[in-house]
Amino acid sequence: MVESIILIPFIAGWIVFFLPKTTGRRILVITGVIHLLLSVLLWIKRPTAILAAYFAVSPEGLLSLSVISLLFFLISIYSTAYLKAAEIQSENIFTGSMLLFLSTMTMVTLSDHIMVMWIAIEATTLASAPLIYTYRTSESLEATWKYVLICSVGIAMALLGSVLITVAMDTGKVNAPVSFSGLTAVAKSLDPQWLKAGFVFILVGYGTKMGLAPMHTWLPDAHSEAPSPASALLSGVLLNCAYLGIFKTNKIMHAAGLGDFSGSILMIFGLISMLAAATFILKQTEYKRLLAYSSIENMGIIAFGTGIGGIGVYGAMICLIHHSLIKSSLFLTSGNILQGYRCKIIQNIGGLVYRMPRTFIAFFAGFVAISGFPPFGMFIGEMFIVMGAFRNGHHVGAIIFMGTICIIFAGLANQIMSISFEDSKRKHRMHMVGKMLWPQYVLLLTSVVFSFWMPDTLYMTIVEAITSIGGGV
Amino acid sequence: MIEPLDTILSLALLSILFSFGSSFLPGLIKVMAFQGIIVSIVPLFMGHDLSTSEILFTLVTMTIRGIVIPLCIYKAIKKVAVRREVQPIIGFNASILIGLGLIIAAAYVSPKFDVPSISISSLLLPTTIVLLVGGMFILIARRNAIAMVLGYIMMENGIYLVGTTFSVRALHIVEFGILLDVLAAVMIMAIILQNIKKTFDNMDTALLRTLKE
Amino acid sequence: MIKSIILLGLAILSAPFFSAIILKVKAFFGGKKGPPLLINYYTLLKLFKKGSVYSNSTTFIFKMGPMVSFASALTVLMFLPIAGNNPIVSFHGDVIFVFYLLGLGRFFTIAAALDTASPFEGMGAAREAYFPIICEATMFMVLVYFYKLTGQLTLASYFSGSQPSGLWHLAGAPLFFVIVAIFIVLLTENSRVPVDDPTTHLELTMIHEVMVLDHSGPDLAFIELGSFYKLFFYSTLLGRLIYPFKTQFPVQDLCLFTGSLIAVYGAIGITESVMARFRMDKVPRFVLASFGLVFFATILTMEFIR
Repeated sequence: MVESIILIPFIAGWIVFFLPKTTGRRILVITGVIHLLLSVLLWIKRPTAILAAYFAVSPEGLLSLSVISLLFFLISIYSTAYLKAAEIQSENIFTGSMLLFLSTMTMVTLSDHIMVMWIAIEATTLASAPLIYTYRTSESLEATWKYVLICSVGIAMALLGSVLITVAMDTGKVNAPVSFSGLTAVAKSLDPQWLKAGFVFILVGYGTKMGLAPMHTWLPDAHSEAPSPASALLSGVLLNCAYLGIFKTNKIMHAAGLGDFSGSILMIFGLISMLAAATFILKQTEYKRLLAYSSIENMGIIAFGTGIGGIGVYGAMICLIHHSLIKSSLFLTSGNILQGYRCKIIQNIGGLVYRMPRTFIAFFAGFVAISGFPPFGMFIGEMFIVMGAFRNGHHVGAIIFMGTICIIFAGLANQIMSISFEDSKRKHRMHMVGKMLWPQYVLLLTSVVFSFWMPDTLYMTIVEAITSIGGGV
Repeated sequence: MIEPLDTILSLALLSILFSFGSSFLPGLIKVMAFQGIIVSIVPLFMGHDLSTSEILFTLVTMTIRGIVIPLCIYKAIKKVAVRREVQPIIGFNASILIGLGLIIAAAYVSPKFDVPSISISSLLLPTTIVLLVGGMFILIARRNAIAMVLGYIMMENGIYLVGTTFSVRALHIVEFGILLDVLAAVMIMAIILQNIKKTFDNMDTALLRTLKE
Repeated sequence: MIKSIILLGLAILSAPFFSAIILKVKAFFGGKKGPPLLINYYTLLKLFKKGSVYSNSTTFIFKMGPMVSFASALTVLMFLPIAGNNPIVSFHGDVIFVFYLLGLGRFFTIAAALDTASPFEGMGAAREAYFPIICEATMFMVLVYFYKLTGQLTLASYFSGSQPSGLWHLAGAPLFFVIVAIFIVLLTENSRVPVDDPTTHLELTMIHEVMVLDHSGPDLAFIELGSFYKLFFYSTLLGRLIYPFKTQFPVQDLCLFTGSLIAVYGAIGITESVMARFRMDKVPRFVLASFGLVFFATILTMEFIR
């Protein structure tokens, strides 16, 4: 049951490689639906896996999985329209890789064994590499090369970190399964020095994948060169998957009583990422890169929140969910803009409000949401993080945090206003297919709904996930 | 020093020095193939009893690390007939000296770590450290894309050595998954390399600098 | 003592013969008959019969060069433990003396070359000065290594009596690296392929040969003889390392030693036959590799002896 949710998209992906285009699009949507249904089933039943040594349903994994499922379903619908409009050379490779990508990400969320987690995260890199190279240009090739090389090397660090954790077991003379749940149970008797070293390597490794500065250099390139549905997946859920690896290791650290150590490192990385993003956002000339840097910023926010502990972790989880919803909607919308203007440079684009009013609504709402304004969920998350930072006495951190958010808002606002309202030669209105609009609306609406009304099960699951790393409301 | 394990490990160290000094890609690939074989047979000499499945797994690892992966890259350069120099950023003589310095540093540092399974050979930890850092060094100090991939493989070899020797508890199915991932990564990199050659007519990563702020 | 003197005399007489082996091996690989094994003696005789020609622009340094390099090579042989027997002269620290004697010879060769004021010879002198610097680093690393193993600083303590086998016993496999390294040094110091080509005809590609272009007659003979002795010196070191044992029977020892020498000279011949000369900018790396190997061997051995 648990494994089937990994296997279905995996098999579908391989099948799609050999099928004609249109069937491939259909299979993409159908798999999205099945995947969504299965992950809803997981919420209801929470079964144990057949290969219990490797896979398990953890609360944080379940949260990420449902985000992935929902996003993939909506993105698959968008993709069908997008693929029709965009001319892509080998569409089968695109759709097949999307499905394999889904499968590997699902595997990340469900894996419990440290090494299986690593295998899955490395597999996401490999499955998503063809997605970035969809357009076959020299720029996209460069982006793919950087993505595969930097991420592979970074993730190799995480493998080393995982091995060091097993060394911590050897040194501490512990005999337990090498799973996150197993290690958390025996964390106290692990050798703290090796555990710390392992955590640092894992943080650097998965941090590369998550887009934490200074290991973020692949991210803007990859996100801007990939076709929009792929960027939406990359930004919306792939980063979460990498975060999940750090989160679960952090759990072991907290169980071993090294929470302060891991927390302070996470906070530092978080703040560096936010500052780096702020500097690059201010003078950004491409809107997809703009969004990519915003993702780096948000990953920084999440890492910072996780590092603070207490209510900050809750805020981080909220941010994680809402960032996925909002950022993927923004990336999808950027695909619309790209179709309307055939250009990625902000300067050459203007008057979005006249040319594509319905796209404008999604775009502008997304901007408001990602900047942390109510009624969208990011507002709540960021507020919790600031509260948590002050409550736990990290005043300097909190001030830098707020200052950076303000700078980034200013930078974003400047660029987005220019895209939306500036004069442009192309004034006449352009028609957009509904399928390329309502997925974004649904995503944004979900964000609004969750910020006003949080289902009890969702709330309980978040709390269950974060209590183990010193979080709580 | 008569110990077979020590001899194997010193050969691995030597392969690192050679890889630092080789200026031509085919030579570098051969060195890496040799290193892959050397590193993957280490578990056979660890001194504990091996089951049939373990020996089989070691042989599979050896085939993949020592033959399949290098062959894959060799095919990639053969097909596109690239310039065969590795285009160093740091010169070869300096690289060899850095390699020697690295070995000394690793030999100096490693006794400070307290690892129970290290007692099998005092050369084990230095070798892994040098493999890891050496791989990173090749990634940094060579501009040629293929040489960078080989640097990545060297790092992977180092991690494999840490994994098999330091902790006995890793399950083979998991190790196999890791191996498969590395293999797939290298294959994808090889495909990208071919495309880089097709698009840019060169393997110099200095050409891959159009995307920036 | 008498035995040592007899051996030295044998060495002095037979050194040109061994060098001819290289020519034979190369001829064999080239599918030719090759010169007779006594070719070097004929050449030397021919040269000694001739008179010398000196350029007007040269000074006494030019005349000194061949004499000093020959004398230093000859003196070095006195310190050499031939076939595992004690050398004629030996004192604490003689290894350093020996290598600087060779350096002295090289210095005067270079000085003589510079004295001619010929740009080609100057170029050769620059190369001759450059590559052996790295060789010297290698040789001293070897000495450090041997000193670390034996605690002694004489050539006799490394190569005579039961010693090289004792070194093998102490160090084991890393000694292979030392052998390779000394072989590389041998090729470089004696201007063999792939570092230098003794038979080349283009001055631009020469290293050693270009420096002796202006010497003639007996001077050239001294230079040739000096280089035979130098090659013999390095080959003896290698030969002892390859065949490190010494038995009770002197004649048997001598035969086996000669066999190991022939093996070393044969190896040089094979190397010259199968390898091409390196491009000049590749040479330093080749020589540096020898340093790397010895250094590496030292690190490895220190790890174990500690």
